Amino acid sequence: MNEVGNFLAEAFCRQLAGLVTPEAIRAVEDSASPGELWRTLDDSGFADALLPEAAGGAGLDLAQAFPLVLAAGEYCVPLPFAETMVARSMLAAHGADVPAGAAIVLAGPSAIIPCGRLAGYALVDRDGVPTLVAAGGSGSDLFRTGAATELDEGEVLATLPRDPDAVLLAAAAVSAALMAGAMARVLEMSLRYAGERQQFGRSLGKFQAIQQQLAVLAEQVLSTQVAARSAFTGSAFDPIRVAAAKCRANEAATQVCNIAHAIHGAIGVTAEFDLQLYTRRIKQWQLAFGSESYWGARLGQARIAAAAGTTADFLRRHLATGSE
Amino acid sequence: MSLTLENFPPAVIPPHAEALRDEVKAFIAEQLEGVPPHVRARSWAGFDADFSRAMAARGWIGLTIPREYGGAGLDPFARFVLVEELLAAGAPVAAHWIGDRQSAPLLLHYGTEAQRRDILPRLCNGELFFCIGMSEPNSGSDLASVRTRAERVEGGWRLNGQKIWTTYAHKSHYMIALVRTSGTSEDRQSGLSQFLVDLSLPGVTVRPIMIGTGDTDFNEVFFEDVLLPEDALVGAEGNGWKQVNAELAFERSGPERIYSSLVLLDLWARLLGDSPDPADAARLGRLVSRLAPLREMSVAMTALLAKGESPITEAALFKDMGTEIEQQIPAEIADAVATRPELATDPELLRTLAYLMQLNHVFSLRGGTREILRGMIARGLGLR
Repeated sequence: MNEVGNFLAEAFCRQLAGLVTPEAIRAVEDSASPGELWRTLDDSGFADALLPEAAGGAGLDLAQAFPLVLAAGEYCVPLPFAETMVARSMLAAHGADVPAGAAIVLAGPSAIIPCGRLAGYALVDRDGVPTLVAAGGSGSDLFRTGAATELDEGEVLATLPRDPDAVLLAAAAVSAALMAGAMARVLEMSLRYAGERQQFGRSLGKFQAIQQQLAVLAEQVLSTQVAARSAFTGSAFDPIRVAAAKCRANEAATQVCNIAHAIHGAIGVTAEFDLQLYTRRIKQWQLAFGSESYWGARLGQARIAAAAGTTADFLRRHLATGSE
Repeated sequence: MSLTLENFPPAVIPPHAEALRDEVKAFIAEQLEGVPPHVRARSWAGFDADFSRAMAARGWIGLTIPREYGGAGLDPFARFVLVEELLAAGAPVAAHWIGDRQSAPLLLHYGTEAQRRDILPRLCNGELFFCIGMSEPNSGSDLASVRTRAERVEGGWRLNGQKIWTTYAHKSHYMIALVRTSGTSEDRQSGLSQFLVDLSLPGVTVRPIMIGTGDTDFNEVFFEDVLLPEDALVGAEGNGWKQVNAELAFERSGPERIYSSLVLLDLWARLLGDSPDPADAARLGRLVSRLAPLREMSVAMTALLAKGESPITEAALFKDMGTEIEQQIPAEIADAVATRPELATDPELLRTLAYLMQLNHVFSLRGGTREILRGMIARGLGLR
């Protein structure tokens, strides 16, 4: 069903493995600029994967594109690759022209805009109208990830039909999927470290207390991944699916980072160690585009409004694979 | 080995299985008319032989068992749909539950042709109810240490020992018991076998255990020189551990691990009305957001079971999370209704809540404790 997406994701992962190394991530963070990395990423064409083939894309739907977004999270791409991929498809769907090579952030309502300082453009919500503007990020780079707390908006390049939810939904969905991808890598790193690190004459992973924590970590990561996958369905993001995905990702984020860093000890937060590259971003996305209470309230309202017989009916009709 | 999203490939319940849903809903609506939520909240612990026989009359016990053995010959997806509807509505399924979920598939896979012909049609008819003999007074999570022993004698086996926490043994006809047939407790997983024990045989004593709520679902079962026929052995002698583990993939992967508190959740959601307090809506939504991926996982595992796979580690991971949310739902609702202690709470909501608050702490024990499951997940992650 998702063979095209998986095939592309494999190719994308191969590229990311060589391109988005921890050194490359640190280079972007230290210079606070996209450098050559963006051009190389953009030249690869993956950011156009959601565009129709006639427009030079791969014609993927959201489900097919999900593995690419997950991979961007797993490799901790420090630039708005997934955001740009989704923004380009939203713009193309309405025939809007997008400047060649543009890196676009999804600037839904949020205290911080991840990658806001590393993109030249933003899809913003102007009184309910998704609007592509030239934009530079400013304010504090709170997580040292190139996020912005303010956007300096310039020229308007395109406007889409009024849809007050569109930018927020896209931003939250992409964030949830990037979190899910980053969490998978955090799990992998924690498992590896637990196998290598020796204390009391044994590797950490041999201790039952540590095994139990890693099991919980795996549970949180997998349920977040399944929830994020469910949000990438159909041709446009669905509010109920996005609410469930971002709520789950946000709830899991604290426990995932707590356990991963507990396994690693103090070394995990040091600049030279890679774990913090991922967990800083997970926390940044946790703070961006609505909390678990915000999305929880929306999901709860939807459950009540649906007046479905049971919650099982609600899950089946609105959140299951294959339901619309 | 590791656990990734690929362990839970996206799966859709096929139309032939979904086609069953409306009929099941109509049946439940008719059967459970007037049954209040606090009774429905017993869910798969609720025993009602008449209800089970009504299901059997529709061909809904042994749904996945081939027609030649009295079943419906449908696939695990059909059973998922049936079970999901039963559990979401709080139908009293306990009488046929163990037989349908575990004993029938076990006999189908490992039983002899004679056992299948003898037992399965009557199980599917709702004539025979089953219980599981695993735990013993000194063997809880350490199941491999069971001491109940079956010795070869002329013409069969002699069974001695004791099982405990055997749900509805006092209302069941047969027990599938895990017992030692060779070696000692020190031999661990080897030397264990499964037996089909007719609970009406001389030497079997079933003694109900009353719990603090006044319920008597549990039992102690004693075996004193019980003579079992040759063909009481299920599967190969010494293969019991492997067989039990295959059975546990069925026991741990189903919707019963996420829906045990659903009747309460839905009653509370309904009472919130059309314009709930945002904090209540958020509480409801957060619970729904945890249930959603779990249902997806359960459907994914159903697809794996349908392909003949045995997702043991996946089921452990799912059950650990599922029982956590089942435990969390009553806790959250208890918090919600007493947020404003001066306000009256709906009496039926209180009754349903109180019932679940007294039992939700054990939801993580039945079918393998949290700690055992997490150990299995750790093994799946390559840590042991």
